[in-house]
Parts: sequence; structure tokens; C-alpha cells
Amino acid sequence: MNKHKILKEAKLWLVAIPVLLWTLLPIYHIFLFSISSKDSAFSGALWPDKPMLHNFVVVFRQDHFYLHHFWAQIWNSLWIAVAVGVLTLVIATCAAFAISRLKVRGGRTVMNAALFTYFIPAAFLAVPMYKAMGSYGLLNSRWSLVLAMVTLASPYAIWVLKQASDKLPWELDEAARIDGATPLQLFRLVYLPLMTPSLVAIGTYALLLAWNEYLYAFLLLSHENTIPLAVGLGHFLASDDSPWELLMATALIYATPPAAIYYAFRRYMVGGLTSGAVKA
Amino acid sequence: MASVSFREVKKEFGKTRVLHGISLDIADGEFMVLVGPSGCGKSTLLRMLAGLEDISAGTIAIDGRVVNDVESKDRDIAMVFQSYALYPHMTVRDNMGFSLRLRDDKKDLIEKRVAQAAKILNLEPYLERYPRELSGGQRQRVAMGRAIVRDPKVFLFDEPLSNLDAKLRVAMRAEIKALHQRLKTTTVYVTHDQVEAMTMADRIAVMNEGRTEQLGAPLELYDRPANLFVAQFIGSPAMNVFDGVYRNGAVEALGARWPCNKKAHEGQSVKYGIRPEHLRLEAGGIPAQIEVVEPMGAETELVVKVGDARLTVLAHGRSSAGPGDRISLVPEAQNAHVFDAATGSRI
Repeated sequence: MNKHKILKEAKLWLVAIPVLLWTLLPIYHIFLFSISSKDSAFSGALWPDKPMLHNFVVVFRQDHFYLHHFWAQIWNSLWIAVAVGVLTLVIATCAAFAISRLKVRGGRTVMNAALFTYFIPAAFLAVPMYKAMGSYGLLNSRWSLVLAMVTLASPYAIWVLKQASDKLPWELDEAARIDGATPLQLFRLVYLPLMTPSLVAIGTYALLLAWNEYLYAFLLLSHENTIPLAVGLGHFLASDDSPWELLMATALIYATPPAAIYYAFRRYMVGGLTSGAVKA
Repeated sequence: MASVSFREVKKEFGKTRVLHGISLDIADGEFMVLVGPSGCGKSTLLRMLAGLEDISAGTIAIDGRVVNDVESKDRDIAMVFQSYALYPHMTVRDNMGFSLRLRDDKKDLIEKRVAQAAKILNLEPYLERYPRELSGGQRQRVAMGRAIVRDPKVFLFDEPLSNLDAKLRVAMRAEIKALHQRLKTTTVYVTHDQVEAMTMADRIAVMNEGRTEQLGAPLELYDRPANLFVAQFIGSPAMNVFDGVYRNGAVEALGARWPCNKKAHEGQSVKYGIRPEHLRLEAGGIPAQIEVVEPMGAETELVVKVGDARLTVLAHGRSSAGPGDRISLVPEAQNAHVFDAATGSRI
């Protein structure tokens, strides 16, 4: 390595190390709390005297006032996230196929409208969404959160999938048409298999968006048995004497599935989410 | 097998008219090549026959049945695309059997047809491979295989060899031709390459700016081009063409008299055309000076200067002449072409 290269490398490290620390420190903090006893959690040590897994046992056994609905709430989180992922995928895939491949009338307008929704912050829509769900009688039903999240995730999903499907060669559609494929067969036998990487990316995106959502979940759901774990975690802070070690243990459990999903699909995520970002 | 007929077919994209009323009859089992420069409308015409483009006016009939409003899949045609358009997620076997699968044919029938096609095209070792694992020539053959398993009424080829290298192109040209001789299926083949057109076609339709300039057998076009466009488009190296004036049974041009056996009006402005192989290097002819010598083995191409025009001369065998040498050209009068200078049509 010559001097120039070393210097360049050193500069990169100089940026990378602080960023890495900045990102990992809170996670380490969570981890530290989750393996400490209540007494030693705030001791300020970098490693507890007696690390233990007792906190996790408490969480799994729902052995605390705030944790009485732990399994129900994590199930809610999962149910909502999967439903949002699947519904968003169905809507966005159909929309992208219709606009990009079938060239339906008004496709452009839909695309522009989808982009336009991003001028409005999600927080602005919270109250109207609450009103809407109220008039549908869906408040306190998991469906209210699912529908709200699908509404928020779909425009972006449509946009990305449309861009991705624009990249599929047009001749494939023509070849399939000549081979005798109906639009539905084209969709099922040619389009879906070729779109798989983008579909995985967008499905994961919607799923994680719903899994991590707090604001809408907090607004639309209020019953202990219907709220997702994200809101359940928030309840820990309701008292002055919060069981921080349990909160952190639960948080760590809650953070594991997204990390696992992201890790499993990282190949698609990078490719899928950036596809359509630039004209290739 | 079937005949195809175009009647006054027109195509407009918005306000731009790209086809100005094409009429063309293709006989049962014929190999018809549509040739022309890019943008002449040949691909559009083919795509209209395939049902991939709407027909603005006129009718297209396959086997006597007008197909204007018939969907692609019901026209009983098969098409080979320039980009091959193979389904990347399917094996060669599935690619070839796809249309039969869509037709709900029985599994063993699909198996049999794919096996037959694979045998014809030497694709047997590659049936389980994916398109990305194949070379350009093999992909091209798969695309053809996909067309022949269907046993369609008409084969459509849209510049199928453009993506191949020169050597492979020549090989595939022969394969396609052999395939046609074997299957005798009516074929419409689009290309911009006049050599492909000449070597493969039963008949050629030369197209330019949305019109057919001439329709005929390859050598007919070569020997009797109907107009300047066809004259200059067909033939490689291209025909020499220059301005002149008809006087006394010959064309006066470039400071010399060029013989021809055509009759034009005395003093009429014409274009004189002569193919490179019809200029003989013999004494007593029109003086010229050699500029470039291109030896090709069996023949030699000379670029010569007559007056201020550059002409190409094709001499059989090898030439000892070098650049700067003075030679004499004798045009073969019976092979000279004369075109009206104003209209460009043959006299």
C-alpha cells in the first residue's frame, strides 16, 4: 500500500469509527440493561458484576405487571406486520403491473398522486385517519392499524415496484402474448417470478414499517389485548419507577425479528430499494 | 402453413404516418424478407402482422381470414425477437414448451414436441439450462425452438441475427434457411442487412419511408432495380451512380461517354448506374486512376477516380495494380442502369 492509499483509508476509518460507536452504543446500552439486575442496572459499569438472563425469563413468563400481555402483544405486532406486508405487496404489485405493463389509462396520474402523498407528513394524517377509522367502527381493531399502515406504505411501494417493472424488457410481454398468455398468465408466470427480488424488498419494507410503528398504533388501538408490543413497551414508562431492566430485555426481543429479517434479505434490500432510484 | 396478405395497410403514431398503404401478398410456404434502412417501417409492419401494433387502416389477412381484430395469441403465429426475449427464469425446456403449456396441451405431447425441436436445433444437451448459461447463438436457437414447437401458420423474424457476431450470423443464416426448407412454413423475416435478404429470401420487399420500393426475387432486384433507392440499397459493394446526360445512345458523364442499351430522351438528365463487377479493366475504355486497392483473395476491390467522382471496381482474381496507377475502364453496356434524374425511377 502506498502512502496515499493509507491516508485515504485512515480518513475513512476516522469517519467510520465514530459513526459505528454512535449507532452501537444505544444498542449496547439496551443489551447491558437487559442482562443486569434491577439494582446494578444504573451502576454505570461497562459490564455487570453478575450478568444474568433472569430478565428474559420474567418477560417470557409474563411475570410482571407491565408484561401480563407480552405474548398477546408480540402476536399482535407479528399479525399486523405480516398483514401489512402482504396487503401492501398485493396492492402495489397489482398497481405496478397495471401501470407499467398493461399501460392502463391514468397510470401516470396514479404515479404522480403516489409521489404527492409524500409531501404530507404521516403525523398530519394521524387525526383524519383516527376519524376515518372511527366512522368505520374499526377503532381498537387490529385492522384499523393494518389499513392505516397499508395506506402509508403503498404509495412508496407502488413507486418502487413500478420503476422496477419498467426495467423488465418489454419483449418478454410481447413474446408471452404471442405464446398465448392472457394478462393474468403473464402476471403469474412471467411477471411475478422476475419481480421476486423487488417484491421481497418491498414486502420487508412494509412489514418492518408496521412492526416499528408507534404513533398510529398508539392512537388507533388502546386495549391491552389489541395493542402491538411497541405500544406495550411505551406503557412501561407510565410509572415513576419503571422496571428498566425488563423494558430493555423486552426491547431487545422486539428488535430481534427485524434484524433477522433484514439480515436474511439484505441482498434484496439493497438491490430492491435502490432499483429505480437512478435511470440505469 | 398459410398465405399472408396486406391490403393498403397504414400505420400512424399520433400525427406521424409511418406506413403509407402497403399491399403485399405472401404465398403459402414462401420466405419473404422485408428489408430497408432503419425507420422504414419494416418492423412496424411485422409487429402489425403479429398483433403487437394496431392497424390504422387497411387489412391484414392470414390464410384468407382478416386478423385486424384478432389477438396475437389467436393468430397462430410465432415470432423470434432481436433480443431473443427468452424467459430468464425458465429452463430451455420450459421456454420452448411455454406456449404449449398455456394451450393446456398434454404433458407427454409437450415433451415430444420440445424433444423434436431440440433435436432439429441441436439443443438437446442444453434443455435443463437457463438462458443466462447459453451463448448468443444458442439463445437464438432457443428462440427459434420456441417458435417451431408451436407449429404455427407463420413464422415472424424481427432482425433475429443483429445481436450476433459476424461469423455466427453467417452460420445462423444458413440454419434458418435450412429450417425453412425443412418445415416449409410461411416466413416473414425483417432485416436491415441486404446480404441477409439476398441470401435467404424467396422474395424481397424493399421498403423505404413507409412504402414498398420494389418487390421481387433477390436476383431480379439485383439485376433490374426499379429505382435508384433499390439500386443503391441492394448489392455489396454498392452500385456506382453518377449524374449524366443522355445523348445518342449513351450517357455523357464525368467527361466520358458511358454506354448503355436503354432509350431515353435526347438531352435528358439521368443517373447512370453500374455495379462494381460490371466495370471491366480493359484497354481502350474510360481513363481512371486507382486510389485504393483492397485485395480480398478471390477478388480485388479497387476504388478509382474518374473525373472528380470515386467509383468502385470489382476485379476477379488478384490485381498487381497499385495506388496512383492509371487504368482504363470498360462498362458492360447490357448491365448498365439508367434512372430518371428527377424521379429516380428506372428507364
